[in-house]
Amino acid sequence: MFVSNKFLSKRRGKGVGQGKVSQCLAMFFSVLASVFIVAAAQAEVPNAKPPTGTHSGEDVPQPIEFPHDIHADINGINCMYCHTYARRSKVAGIPPTSKCMGCHSIIATDKPRIKKLTEYWENNETILWNKVHDVPDFVHFTHEKHLQRFVFKNEGMDVANVSEVCAFCHGDVKKMTVAKKVKPLNMGFCVRCHEANDGPSDCWKCHK
Amino acid sequence: MSGSDINRRDFLKFMGLGGVGAATLSGCDMPTTITLEEGKEKVVAYLAPEEYAIPGIGVTFASTCKQCPSGCGVHGRVREGRVLKLEGNPDALNGKGLCQMGQASLQGHYNPDRITQPMARKGGALEPVTWEEAWKLMKEKASGAAQGRSAWFTGTVSGHQSVLLSALNKAWGSKDHYVYEAINNAVGEAVNKSVLGDAAPAYRLDKAKVVLSFGADFLGTWVSPVHFSREYSKFRTGDRGVLIQVEPKMTLTGGNADLWVAARPGTEGVVALGVANVLLSKNQVDGKQLPQAALDVISQYGVDKVTEISGVPGDTLVRIAKYLNERSPSLVLSGESAHGHANGYQNAMAAMMLNVLLGNVGETIEASNSMAFDELKAKHGNSKAMLDFAAAADAGKYDVVFFTGANPVYTAPDHLAMAEKVAKVPFKVALSMFPDETTMAADLVLPLSSPYEEWGTSVSPYQPTDAAISMSQPLMKPLSAETKSLGDILLSMLKYQGIKDYEGFDDYYAYLRSELDGLPGSVKAGKDGDEFWSAAVQRGVIKVPTKAGSLKVNLGDVSPGGHQSGGDYPMHLIPSSNQTMYDGRNANLPWLQEAPDQITKIFWDSWVEMHPKAAAKLGVKEGDFVRVESDQGAVEAQVYIYKGVHVNAVAIPVGRGHEEYGRYAKGNGVNPLKILSSIVDGKSGELATHATRVRISKVGRSEELPRLGGSEVQVGRRLVNTVSADVFKRTEGA
Repeated sequence: MFVSNKFLSKRRGKGVGQGKVSQCLAMFFSVLASVFIVAAAQAEVPNAKPPTGTHSGEDVPQPIEFPHDIHADINGINCMYCHTYARRSKVAGIPPTSKCMGCHSIIATDKPRIKKLTEYWENNETILWNKVHDVPDFVHFTHEKHLQRFVFKNEGMDVANVSEVCAFCHGDVKKMTVAKKVKPLNMGFCVRCHEANDGPSDCWKCHK
Repeated sequence: MSGSDINRRDFLKFMGLGGVGAATLSGCDMPTTITLEEGKEKVVAYLAPEEYAIPGIGVTFASTCKQCPSGCGVHGRVREGRVLKLEGNPDALNGKGLCQMGQASLQGHYNPDRITQPMARKGGALEPVTWEEAWKLMKEKASGAAQGRSAWFTGTVSGHQSVLLSALNKAWGSKDHYVYEAINNAVGEAVNKSVLGDAAPAYRLDKAKVVLSFGADFLGTWVSPVHFSREYSKFRTGDRGVLIQVEPKMTLTGGNADLWVAARPGTEGVVALGVANVLLSKNQVDGKQLPQAALDVISQYGVDKVTEISGVPGDTLVRIAKYLNERSPSLVLSGESAHGHANGYQNAMAAMMLNVLLGNVGETIEASNSMAFDELKAKHGNSKAMLDFAAAADAGKYDVVFFTGANPVYTAPDHLAMAEKVAKVPFKVALSMFPDETTMAADLVLPLSSPYEEWGTSVSPYQPTDAAISMSQPLMKPLSAETKSLGDILLSMLKYQGIKDYEGFDDYYAYLRSELDGLPGSVKAGKDGDEFWSAAVQRGVIKVPTKAGSLKVNLGDVSPGGHQSGGDYPMHLIPSSNQTMYDGRNANLPWLQEAPDQITKIFWDSWVEMHPKAAAKLGVKEGDFVRVESDQGAVEAQVYIYKGVHVNAVAIPVGRGHEEYGRYAKGNGVNPLKILSSIVDGKSGELATHATRVRISKVGRSEELPRLGGSEVQVGRRLVNTVSADVFKRTEGA
């Protein structure tokens, strides 16, 4: 099978910085930012000012009540172990069922939720999850760029603490069972964080 | 900033600054529930993905475009199991390029009007049936056909589909396979075959210093446009080649020409003779390359006589001859608008005569290296096939006819009464993706998979240098479970006929694997079965050995043939083909319907191109409806006035005016092919598409033309900066 090099090669890009914005605009934004940004950076994530704002999302029922707390908190599994696409692609991706079965063909096979999962797997059925976090189609959001900026190219950042970065936009998922939307994820939320962290402010960065 | 000296760009900058400052993002904090339905959308996780499948990141696979007969190689970007975008395959003849028709072929694949299950005619109407019923019908009505009472009517076919078709026809004792293309180069091929001994020699645009084209729209629809576009860019870079286009209606190629000459339709051969006359008499070109008979004919066509017949001014002829004489090698081409006449063959012969006179044969016209496997070569269509079929169907020669890849009921002129003649065939089977006119006239419709859902091989009809087999592979799972590939249907039919050679194959894929496995070691370059197959599928093309060709020169009669006056019908009708609708097969693709015509910028509708003088004489303005009437019927469309059409001609684009063919095609515009007169090219028997004479009358209605831009001038906006030739000469010192 043919895989084009252009899709495998590392994305170019400087991560941070806004070389293309005029100096005047940059100054203007930094003044504006100082008015809005009050929250101090959390200790776990260096060189970052987490976004502010909350949202009270509805409970979204899922075909299997996946307990994030058992996996990420009690057992301390790194978010990116399952959401493995996040650092490589624009979407974090729901883990494939094969990944679940990698552990659960051995672990906790007697639990009702695992039995349900196994049933899906054995019937060759994909699980239709209900989407919790989304941005409109006219917004180009990429997980990869954000993880590069706040985790992999962030000096002093320990990858083991990645959940703190995920929490910027997804809330403290490791304390939840089924994920729930607790951040507004609207343009104001995005732009204020971009301003505070010197993210790009060109319209076409997101609206392309 | 004062109001008077603010321009648009500054205004936008200013507004941008002010807008952001004033708003301070207050509107940006609206909840996303306005744009999103939280928790309502599903997100599907892979069950057990391939290693390379990463959501959000595309993987490209090679395949072949089937949107026109050229058969360009494509790379399709596939994401989450859906093909999203096509580009040219750099290893194929077309290189990295892919034309708009190829780009839009994805809309054919995802088209909402695709046929998703077999249909059979029950009590007058086509009704959905199961495949079991369809095969039962085939068994009852088709497989019992007597020897020689069946026929296939197809578009261009090649590769292993062509092999299976031949085998099937042989099994049924029928020799009749009509290969039809409405847009073709059959007249040119006939002349090439007769003069050079090679129907499709290699045209080396890249080597030529000047190209004189008699209506060959090689950037638009002629032979292999994407390939020629690449050659054209080489022709234009460096020592910039000169392009001269002689045609009655400006094509895309004509629009790019340095010198565009509107000759009276059908007199292209006379212009060629006139140019030859000037070359021999004024430029002292040695005529020893030409036979005496040709020189005698040329000597009769002095400048004045040529001007009188063709309307091309004498100094233009001298100028063309000067370019050809001073810049060598040159290349003379002829295409659709020169070929589509009763004397089309002579026009093409006269153009070829110029190539012989100028010594281009062997220089810019090279022998093609034809591929070693004859059975896989493309069977390239022509329009004589349709005329022959119409006569045979009318005579009741067939009990069963299979249609695929061609839509004769739509493209045939009214004088052929194709629908009635097709109706005379007792059992008509259409293998089709779409409910086009021919499909809807069939008794049994078998749904085909799209080119991006199936396995296959194909061979381009035009392969100038390297010969290659182009591979098709599924870019995604079929959208509809009931569709089958043409190869699979043919194989099933062969197996049903009990042909031993094919019994061992479960499906067309297995057959292809086995066939490619059987290719000689020289093609497989030492690779074994699986390795060779993977390499072929990965690269998308298999380079195969060629038989070196050779060219002879045996010029025929170059007399231009008679030119008739129109009588009651003073104007010439030019059914112009373009790269959007092509021969009408693309009318169901909205991207191409809404893509403005490259010259007139009109979309979604038909129009009549008229010269300003002709329009003034008739008293019509842009947008007025006119009636274009030939001896076979009339069509009505809106006038578009511009100078890119001969003053005695009107041009109507081909491809619209469908009566069927889905929601995007049906009822849009008019079909000029319907009113063509029953004239054929005398020598080749091809339908003379450009020979129809018409009269134009006002209808009395007027509407705004659906047209992008709407203005021919820049209204002082300086979108394209220009300087006059005088200023340029003075300031740049050229």
